[in-house]
Amino acid sequence: MNILTKRKIRNKVALSLSVFAAVIGLFWLFFILWDVFRHGMSFITMDLFTKDPVPPGFQGGGLRNAFVGQILITLVAMVIGIPFGILGGTFLSEYGRHSRLGRFISTLSDIMVSVPSIVIGTFVYAIMVKPIGHFNGWAGGVALAIIMIPVVIRTTEDMMSLVPWSLREAAFALGAPYYKVITQVVYRGAATGIFTGILLSIARVAGETAPLLFTSFNNSFFTTNLSESTPSLTVTIFQYAMGPYDDWHGMAWAAALVITVAILLVTVAGRLLIKWRYRS
Amino acid sequence: MNKQIELEKGRVLIRVQNLSFSYGSVRAVKNISMDVAKNSVTALIGPSGCGKTTFLRCFNRMHDLYPGNRYEGEILMEGRNLLGKDVDITELRAGIGMVFQKPTPFPMSVFDNIAYGLKLKGIRNRTELSHRVEAALKHAALWDEVKDRLKSGASGLSGGQQQRLVIARALAVEPKVILFDEPTSALDPISTSKIEELIFRLKEEITVIIVTHNMQQAARISDYTAFMYVGELIEFNETDVIFTNPDVKLTEEYITGRFG
Repeated sequence: MNILTKRKIRNKVALSLSVFAAVIGLFWLFFILWDVFRHGMSFITMDLFTKDPVPPGFQGGGLRNAFVGQILITLVAMVIGIPFGILGGTFLSEYGRHSRLGRFISTLSDIMVSVPSIVIGTFVYAIMVKPIGHFNGWAGGVALAIIMIPVVIRTTEDMMSLVPWSLREAAFALGAPYYKVITQVVYRGAATGIFTGILLSIARVAGETAPLLFTSFNNSFFTTNLSESTPSLTVTIFQYAMGPYDDWHGMAWAAALVITVAILLVTVAGRLLIKWRYRS
Repeated sequence: MNKQIELEKGRVLIRVQNLSFSYGSVRAVKNISMDVAKNSVTALIGPSGCGKTTFLRCFNRMHDLYPGNRYEGEILMEGRNLLGKDVDITELRAGIGMVFQKPTPFPMSVFDNIAYGLKLKGIRNRTELSHRVEAALKHAALWDEVKDRLKSGASGLSGGQQQRLVIARALAVEPKVILFDEPTSALDPISTSKIEELIFRLKEEITVIIVTHNMQQAARISDYTAFMYVGELIEFNETDVIFTNPDVKLTEEYITGRFG
């Protein structure tokens, strides 16, 4: 056997192995999506979005409370997480880029990305639930914001670093002060990337359950008052799936389908945006 | 072995005195003294790494953006030392424009690119803005090519057009001096000649200092030429003299292409 044939065989083996690995990964992804779709689809009704839960044993009802609660908690997370994330990323990419503090914070933020979300949940429980004495929606929002911030910091820093230095120099050369260079030139150059990062970070926190279990917990009633325990889709899915009633299981499937599709759409939108912006 | 002329006092806009510049432990510009004449084009030539761009970037203190820089000596413009501690750097840069090797259009429309510097100067009035944007684009001989696409993104322009846009942007704020750092090295010959014509015209109102690798370019557009080698100014004279009858052997060897 000559060396070329050997190489061809090696190539085929490596190719087959990598295709096999990819197929296994994708198989489970589609299996999960298909299963959620198959089970959830039949429970998607108008009532699901417009009615609140009814006590076990009664027919009908929906999860309006959980949808609204989920949106409120996510909004709180966004209001806190996006500005802190963007400002933090700006510091790391601009003012702190040559400083030890900057590099230290950057590393710390990367570590924060991989902290288990339940740890963040218990942390917020200790500072915002225990002292107050009861679960509340604000705590849920804060817990999600803490998960969100390092993700936004990372993408903001990366996207701003992609804006070439020559562009900043050109703005400086016109006599622009640094804050104007950042807000008017660098942000503009990095806008799509930062926006995409925000979308992906929302998708990341919208699917979290563990931090909410310890903070906003759940509520079977409709509420817009975040000072009391606030329902969310993910915790509702958790409780309904564990519950003994068939219609609870059905609603858990439906809620799982809705949240999966929503996150999928946000993620795909983010990816498409990157592709569209950086295609050239 | 250095040889340089001194200009008559009345014609001098900028006087560089014993300027040295180092970043970290590297001394990139060594003890340069030279005059820049008002309303003229001064070319800085020399082999790669000779410090001519570093020297150029001292005039608008671009080095201040990076840590570990140290200036020694003085750059006097109209009696004021540009390297002084009390100098407001943003104000200094507004008066000394710069055009870079690669075109640097901002990620915004053609109009907004030009208006950027004007807005920095505090001009908000829309009529005045559009008036001055038009004037700057005409000045840079770009108006006819972009007048129908002022609102579209500047990145859609060709490389040569982008470079003229950047020149128009620098001109719009009416600086006294414009620094050019190899402005045509990334451009095709036709765009290059357009920009050379533009620079040649500019000196009626503005003082130009240009770094170039292209010796023909220096010969074509400049009035004075400074030849630099490993951070030192070797020879400074009228361009005609440098190119026809240089005093220093090293200069002659460089311009005749024997090294560099």
